[in-house]
Amino acid sequence: MMSRKFFTIALVVVLATPPKTLWGADAGRIQFENRQKNSGVSFVLDNSTLPDKPMIDGVPGGVALLDYDSDGYLDIFFTNGATLPGLTKEGDKFSNRLYHNNHDGTFTDVTARAGLRGEGYSVGAAAADYDNDGFTDLYVTGFDRNFLYHNNGDGTFTDVTAKAGVTGVSPTGKKLWGISAAWLDYDNDGKLDLFVTNYLDWSFATSRACGSPGKRLSCSPTLYKGEPNILYHNNGDGTFTDASEVMGISRHIGKGMGVAIADYNDDGWMDIFVANDNERNFLFSNRGGKAFDEVGVESFVAYTDSGLPVSSMGVDFRDWNNDGKPSLIITALGGETYPVFRNEGNGFFSYDSYKAGIGFRSFKMSGWGAGIQDFDNDGYKDLFTANSHVSENADLDGQQHYRQANAVFRNMHDGTFQDVSGNAGSDMQIRAAHRGCAFGDLNNDGKIDIIVSAIGSPAELLYNASTGGNHWILIKTVGVKSNRDGIGTRIKLIAESGLVQYNHVTTAGSYASSNDPRVHFGLGADAAIKEIELKWPSGTVQVLHNVKADQILTVTEE
Amino acid sequence: MKTAVLSLLFPVCITWPAFAGPCSGAEAQLAKISKALTLNTVDTAENSLRALSSSYPDCPEIVLHQARLAQAKGSANQAAELYYRFTDTDPNDSRGLAYFGRFFLEQGDYMRADALSAAAVDKNPDDPVALALRGQVLVMKGQSSEGQALLEKATKLDPDDPEAQFQLGTIYDKAKAATKAVEHFRRAATLNPQDARAWDYLALNLEPTGDPDGSDQAYQKGLRVNQAGRYHDAFLDYNYGRFLAKRNDLAASKEHLDRGVQSVPEIRAVWYERARLNLRMHNYQQARTDAEKAAACKQQGGILDLQIYSLLSQVYARLGETALARKYMDLTRETPPPVRGEQR
Repeated sequence: MMSRKFFTIALVVVLATPPKTLWGADAGRIQFENRQKNSGVSFVLDNSTLPDKPMIDGVPGGVALLDYDSDGYLDIFFTNGATLPGLTKEGDKFSNRLYHNNHDGTFTDVTARAGLRGEGYSVGAAAADYDNDGFTDLYVTGFDRNFLYHNNGDGTFTDVTAKAGVTGVSPTGKKLWGISAAWLDYDNDGKLDLFVTNYLDWSFATSRACGSPGKRLSCSPTLYKGEPNILYHNNGDGTFTDASEVMGISRHIGKGMGVAIADYNDDGWMDIFVANDNERNFLFSNRGGKAFDEVGVESFVAYTDSGLPVSSMGVDFRDWNNDGKPSLIITALGGETYPVFRNEGNGFFSYDSYKAGIGFRSFKMSGWGAGIQDFDNDGYKDLFTANSHVSENADLDGQQHYRQANAVFRNMHDGTFQDVSGNAGSDMQIRAAHRGCAFGDLNNDGKIDIIVSAIGSPAELLYNASTGGNHWILIKTVGVKSNRDGIGTRIKLIAESGLVQYNHVTTAGSYASSNDPRVHFGLGADAAIKEIELKWPSGTVQVLHNVKADQILTVTEE
Repeated sequence: MKTAVLSLLFPVCITWPAFAGPCSGAEAQLAKISKALTLNTVDTAENSLRALSSSYPDCPEIVLHQARLAQAKGSANQAAELYYRFTDTDPNDSRGLAYFGRFFLEQGDYMRADALSAAAVDKNPDDPVALALRGQVLVMKGQSSEGQALLEKATKLDPDDPEAQFQLGTIYDKAKAATKAVEHFRRAATLNPQDARAWDYLALNLEPTGDPDGSDQAYQKGLRVNQAGRYHDAFLDYNYGRFLAKRNDLAASKEHLDRGVQSVPEIRAVWYERARLNLRMHNYQQARTDAEKAAACKQQGGILDLQIYSLLSQVYARLGETALARKYMDLTRETPPPVRGEQR
């Protein structure tokens, strides 16, 4: 018989154990190491600039993680600026860059061979296989030029922008200022469509100088009119049709920055969230693939709970509290706090920045890239933000800082997050003018790594060195009836312990960047998965049972 | 020669008391009283003044301090009479003009405060009391940089004037320079711990510097001394209530916002904030009542129509009042957000 004393001690131990470890997840530390130095990745984002600090110089810096050569390892693409005001990529320093992953922590610059040097002032990138040929293609947004690069499958790309009809030019003939792009199959017809956010009606002719001479600051976007976003419908023959008007997108004029997609109302149709800079945010609710209703106000994500806009920059749209409802994290500028909108599942979102423990911590931060990812593989998604103020001279203010350290917030499993940036390794303390960032598993070790672009300093290759030894799985979807990438597939995972998680296939999210299309789940102590349910965009529901952890699982649509 | 000089000096020295002013010999005590009044230690000042006035019945400076004491105790008529007496006696004393000017400022007589503050600085451009008042008046008149310069000078000449520190803090607060504001509000609150306004502003500015715990403590100190009088802060409960909501202490937040509503019911901001809290607490009917009251308030208190529309749309939507929700959603869409400065 168990002694009373022993029973009491055992009970105390159990009660004293934080709930998060009851099911076995190891509460290891989230750690990142910047392994850029010997990687062969020498990219430095060059925004060019002029003494008057024009609007254009603050916003470049998209990154894409894509496996362009289908070797099972993510490669890295960086967008870059151009001369100002000439907008030419003179010399190598303004070239966009593609780095091939050599599988050993090093990369090789293959830009020239791939034909991805680019033209004009590039900003964002979005990768996906739009023609279902098995090779990942690339869309690049920019101030003066957008490009669609078709992957030829031999390490080279072909510029098919004009032929495809995705130039980023409005029906009135104006090239809109492209920032981010997202691939999604909005009508579930098996072909990936393209959504492009556009920013301001700005030009060098209308450019204003703000601040005082020698101490110029970035002007507020409120000085300029916004621009409509674009939705291109994929015709399936290598061409696209501008469906912005017919689908109800272009009548909403915003100042689009980040874009993320998710089926927020679980109706089987992918919805689109656009982070607008100092304007109300847009949530385009997909009405059965026939039209989009902009419901930002109706769902309470247009503004923060103060009824005012913030400088929304980057965004991610995923379920972080394992309730099956994708929620939002948005980056903004110092003094605003990063908005966190929790999806209630009833069409409404709650502004939870302070409730989630993000409010006070992010008050002094200015951010761009953002991601909701499980960095410590404990089964709960954490948050990461790539930080920097928009104004190069922000430090003149005394309260703001141009160069800032990135931030990582650990999910505490109770709807709150803890800022663990200070303990996430010395490389997380690097102060730089960070911009876009992309999330993915670079070395296929089951941990989500981050590539961060930074103006004027080497890009950071933040390898996830988190401790804890938790289990994981990466799911690569191959659509058959659905689009080949399986973008839009909603995945529900039930681990051996019973923990239920949700995620979906997308490369969109963050700021002007494109993420690993493989869907990652941390599994804590669970070495096996009871069930994986995939709801494909085609409507097919596929269920897998008793799946081993710690593998990259390819699931082909049945 | 040396003897001659000494002999000239000698009669001067021995006849000094005959030439001495009516306050002669009381200088040190008067300085202490002045300091006590500046630091709002009224009892100390009152006791010392009582003792001194019988010994120096003709000392005009005693009248000045009696006026300040009456002002501090809220006896406006008595204070006015004493200030008039003092300035009649010594119309060139910059401090007298400045203190009298501050009296008018507190009474809401801005014209006379303006005139007296200008006259005070004119009489003595190095008098910190005069400079502090003039600086404050100039800021109120919209001449912020000139006002700030005078307040900076005043606080350099006399760093122990809590009012000057407070006024300078408000300039940095408006400029969103929280770190500098904290410096001055902390000094003001330390010098005059009875000043609830200083604690409130200190708390408000500690928050953006990343010190919510310090902010909490400052609010609590302010609440402990927040009594009717010249240093009363009608918005202290309101601000603390907002702060506590951010700290997720909703019940305590409600208590303070309730007090805030009682304290300044004519201001839109207090109803608005309580409505937001009630919304968050799922008290939708109460949120509706508060939001509708906020909408009806004429004094906005910094809350824009857009914010009211957005709030009402959420409240009505939560209550299932579809038509009303739609109306305010449409207004939310149609109302452009504010333009907040040209640069960032």
